[in-house]
Amino acid sequence: MAQIPNLGNAPINLSSIRDQSQKELLNLLRNIRGKKCLVIDPTLSGSLSLLVQTSLLKEHGAELRHLSADPVQTDCTTIVYLVRSQLHLMKFISSHVQNDLSKGLKRDYFLYFVPRRSVACEKILEEENVHDRMTIGEYPLYILPLDEDVLSFELDLAYKECQVDGDTSSLWHIAKAIQKLESAFGVIPNVRAKGKASVRVADILNRMQAEEPVNSSEPGLPEINTLILIDREVDMVTPMCSQLTYEGLLDEFLRINNGSVEVDSSIMGHQQEGKKIKVPLNSSDKLFKEIRDLNFEVVVQVLRQKATSMKQDYAEVTTTNQSVSELKDFVKKLNSLPEITRHINLAQHVSTFTSKPSFLSRLDMEQTFVEAESYDICFEYIEEMIHKQEPIVSVLRLLILFSITNSGLPKKHFDYLRRELLHSYGFEQMGTLNNLEKAGLLKKQEAKSNWLSVKRALNLIVEDTDTANPNDISYVFSGYAPLSIRLVQHAIRSGWRPIEDILKFLPGPHSESKKSGFSSSASYESLSGNGSLTNSANKINSGRRSLVLVVFIGGVTFAEISALRYLSAQEGMPYDLIVATTKLVNGHSLTETFMDKWS
Amino acid sequence: LLWKESWELGKNPMASKGSALHGPRIKLIEKAQHLFFETKEHNFESKAAEEHSKLLRIQHELEVATKQAIFVDSSISDTIRTCIVLGNHKAAEKVKTEFKVSDKRWYWLKVFALATIRDWDSLEKF
Repeated sequence: MAQIPNLGNAPINLSSIRDQSQKELLNLLRNIRGKKCLVIDPTLSGSLSLLVQTSLLKEHGAELRHLSADPVQTDCTTIVYLVRSQLHLMKFISSHVQNDLSKGLKRDYFLYFVPRRSVACEKILEEENVHDRMTIGEYPLYILPLDEDVLSFELDLAYKECQVDGDTSSLWHIAKAIQKLESAFGVIPNVRAKGKASVRVADILNRMQAEEPVNSSEPGLPEINTLILIDREVDMVTPMCSQLTYEGLLDEFLRINNGSVEVDSSIMGHQQEGKKIKVPLNSSDKLFKEIRDLNFEVVVQVLRQKATSMKQDYAEVTTTNQSVSELKDFVKKLNSLPEITRHINLAQHVSTFTSKPSFLSRLDMEQTFVEAESYDICFEYIEEMIHKQEPIVSVLRLLILFSITNSGLPKKHFDYLRRELLHSYGFEQMGTLNNLEKAGLLKKQEAKSNWLSVKRALNLIVEDTDTANPNDISYVFSGYAPLSIRLVQHAIRSGWRPIEDILKFLPGPHSESKKSGFSSSASYESLSGNGSLTNSANKINSGRRSLVLVVFIGGVTFAEISALRYLSAQEGMPYDLIVATTKLVNGHSLTETFMDKWS
Repeated sequence: LLWKESWELGKNPMASKGSALHGPRIKLIEKAQHLFFETKEHNFESKAAEEHSKLLRIQHELEVATKQAIFVDSSISDTIRTCIVLGNHKAAEKVKTEFKVSDKRWYWLKVFALATIRDWDSLEKF
């Protein structure tokens, strides 16, 4: 099965976006004459694999290499670099060029920044005296469709850059990406934002709109009705909890990377041992589409059912005489066998992790942290984890959860735990602690925590959650309803007005704006609260459901996407939801961005 | 600004990891400690830097004594573990008292370390 997802069922024409990016990349290669060696930033190669098949690149006369510190080994006289604007990559490139020069090799260099060139990077090239030797351009890849309803801006470090380094250039990228969507699907009339970064993006978007109005080629109604911007900063609780949906658990244990996981071939029932194979995970796989958003407990049951019914059919075929058409049906069913086998293998592998007592007790603890009613138990649990030197990322995840739900730790405990951490994991972790502190994820308690009121007002802890027949989004965490998605729920239903008191307890400002009419002069009026969105939606509603685009700045987890899909599938829900994010994350990957690497 | 500067210093020694000369590294950390000390709100950082340089000295001594370069760049807990695994209980005790390691953590470390070397007898006694 192809790794590149089929976008045919997307609520808006996402394949056109992908096709355009693909065409731009191929044009770029075509415009450089002759054979060339394409040197790709390794972190980009995953994204590119969702965009274009490598064979297609080869057809355009390109040899492929990954960018590293080592010089490029190739016979080509033309080198094309495709990189993000990261300073350390510039050092690699300039050392390549200098290396070639010292050997007397004469080559042509092309350097394409994704998605945009940066002054700082070019400065480095100038300092290294290689700037004049290269042709510099841009490859404007702003949006990458990951699935029918998920878009990624592929900005891995956006959250850390904003929170710790104070580098907000990623916000500009996000606004640019949204503008790109607007130019394809019309200006989005309603914008709702919560969190510092979200409000900034909304502002930048307004400014862009004023400076160069989007000319939507098709006059008429915009395809996307509402834009909801949520800053990850607003809800750091959810990503720190272990996801319990099938896709979420696959990500927690196996790390889903650009829509696929890599597992040992023995797990997938193949003979050769030690070989890794890639398993693509997207909605082109019908069975996966059916079960990805379900709570894992249920997934096991569904798979069992499928397998037994298959077995029954098989028994019927072998024992009774059946007509040709019945046989045909059976054979058709057999076609789904590889999918079933694939997911039974994966699910079995995941269950080896989930059945461990340590995992179950951790889940229990996470619940206790979120409930935030037994401070001492939580404190002692973390203390013991540190003493046992459990993996530092797991410890930090809980510590962040602890700090946020208590709006910081009392000074005595704050210093004590920090000291124990340094003692157990080494003083090198000082930088990590400092980063977390800067981002407000680990701090000294200064005021009483509002978490309990937030929890109560937004009904975040739902008793007796039925994971099999969910009646609320809380099923994705078996009892905890993700805060971020509760906010989205409110934003869709009634706008911010009715929950303003609660929003004040959460970090960052919020904003709400409406672009009147579809004239290019953007004037704004605040929404008059209750139900106005639903009304306008009803007016527009002519057979097709209108769209809400939910953007998570700083990353989103699979479990949250599942919760949104669940909402979108509810009866009486007048909207289709699509999700866009800077990156798909989980607690581990998000925490790791804050860790300084000493290598 | 002072804060930033001291951070650079704090990071610097880690960057020069692997150098055989630990002398300059300890000096750098001590300098960082003084810088932290000058600003009032960085008491914690200052103490941490102090402990870090102390740890490096002890680890250095241990490496000379055991002729094994396995101590530097490991944490305090790791150092204690390594000592117990090597059967050097006296050194372990010394590190414990030197850094005021709580009994709770000490027991975990000792149990883990003794289990690693399958020293069930000592584990029993302990």
